[in-house]
Amino acid sequence: MTDRDIGADPPDEYVEAEIQRLLVEDPAVAEQGITVVRRERALVLYGEVESPHRREEILRRVSERFPDVPITSDIGVIGAQAPTEIEQLP
Amino acid sequence: MVIRLAAVGDVHLDEDVVGRFRPALEELPECADVLLLAGDLTRHGTEAEARCVAEEFGGLAVPVVTVLGNHDHQCDQVPQVVKVLEDAGITVLEGNGVVLDCAGGRLGIAGVKGFGGGFAGRCASDFGEPEMKAFVRTTTDSADRLGAALRSLDCDMLVALTHYSPVPDTLVGEPLEIYPFLGSYQLGQAIDSAPTALAVHGHAHAGTERGTTPGGVRVRNVAHPVIKQAYSVFHVGDQLDTDQVSPIGQSGSQRSWS
Ligand SMILES: [Fe+2]
Ligand SMILES: [Fe+2]
Repeated sequence: MTDRDIGADPPDEYVEAEIQRLLVEDPAVAEQGITVVRRERALVLYGEVESPHRREEILRRVSERFPDVPITSDIGVIGAQAPTEIEQLP
Repeated sequence: MVIRLAAVGDVHLDEDVVGRFRPALEELPECADVLLLAGDLTRHGTEAEARCVAEEFGGLAVPVVTVLGNHDHQCDQVPQVVKVLEDAGITVLEGNGVVLDCAGGRLGIAGVKGFGGGFAGRCASDFGEPEMKAFVRTTTDSADRLGAALRSLDCDMLVALTHYSPVPDTLVGEPLEIYPFLGSYQLGQAIDSAPTALAVHGHAHAGTERGTTPGGVRVRNVAHPVIKQAYSVFHVGDQLDTDQVSPIGQSGSQRSWS
């Protein structure tokens, strides 16, 4: 990430790129599996994480860094149940 | 006779999730002879996170065999991470293999983390700047070590374990633009250089479960966000003739951490 001020009205595509990198490079997040999608009214974050705490942390860190960008999140928490099926490979 | 494998990758453990997998893991002996972990065991590759992995995946009733992932390299503590895992009885593979005596026969597992580079016709080349050549040579070296490890194992069934993907099939769902960061065809070529029965990988969180190498070896992406359960179970019945597998070499060549 750069420390450069990206300006009051930064191009959406650069914001998207910065968020994508923040999600991976911010040690408090470190998620490579989150997709940032630009919708008309907001940036939407999609993906799956290991805990509700990590999901909250993602939103917190992104809105902290981009307070003026409307963000919505559609991030799921992955289940850790035993499988119900076995794949047979003859 | 059947060999029963359980596998999961990309569990990205840290203190906040310790204990989540354990109830399902306690059921393993009922359905599997071994548990394979396909790398990205941790979030940042710290020794503390490795201890979470040891707590979650140590002391199970079945052997646990793993490769590391790119996340496990993030904090440059690979030797410490490996030591914590090995102290917990977990076998860590990187360019070597292990043979396990299972009820259904001798299971040989060869593993490397692997690396990116892309897939046939759309991949990086060993050409140009030193950085580019270093990138491609990292992949080539990793694939060479995987191939050699696979061919060295004396066993009844051979399984390849990687973090990066050997085929594009299991990346479907990921943006095409990032395929070169998700795997390399050279890993597939290495897998096809031996009578491999199954290849298991992780890393592609948004990918797809099933694929096949050009040589016809079945590939499974077991990244936790893909399988959405504690682990997947495969019962592989495909017994190899012993003379199809090279009898040369030993089952546990030396690890090559530096
Ligand atoms: Fe991962
Ligand atoms: Fe990964």
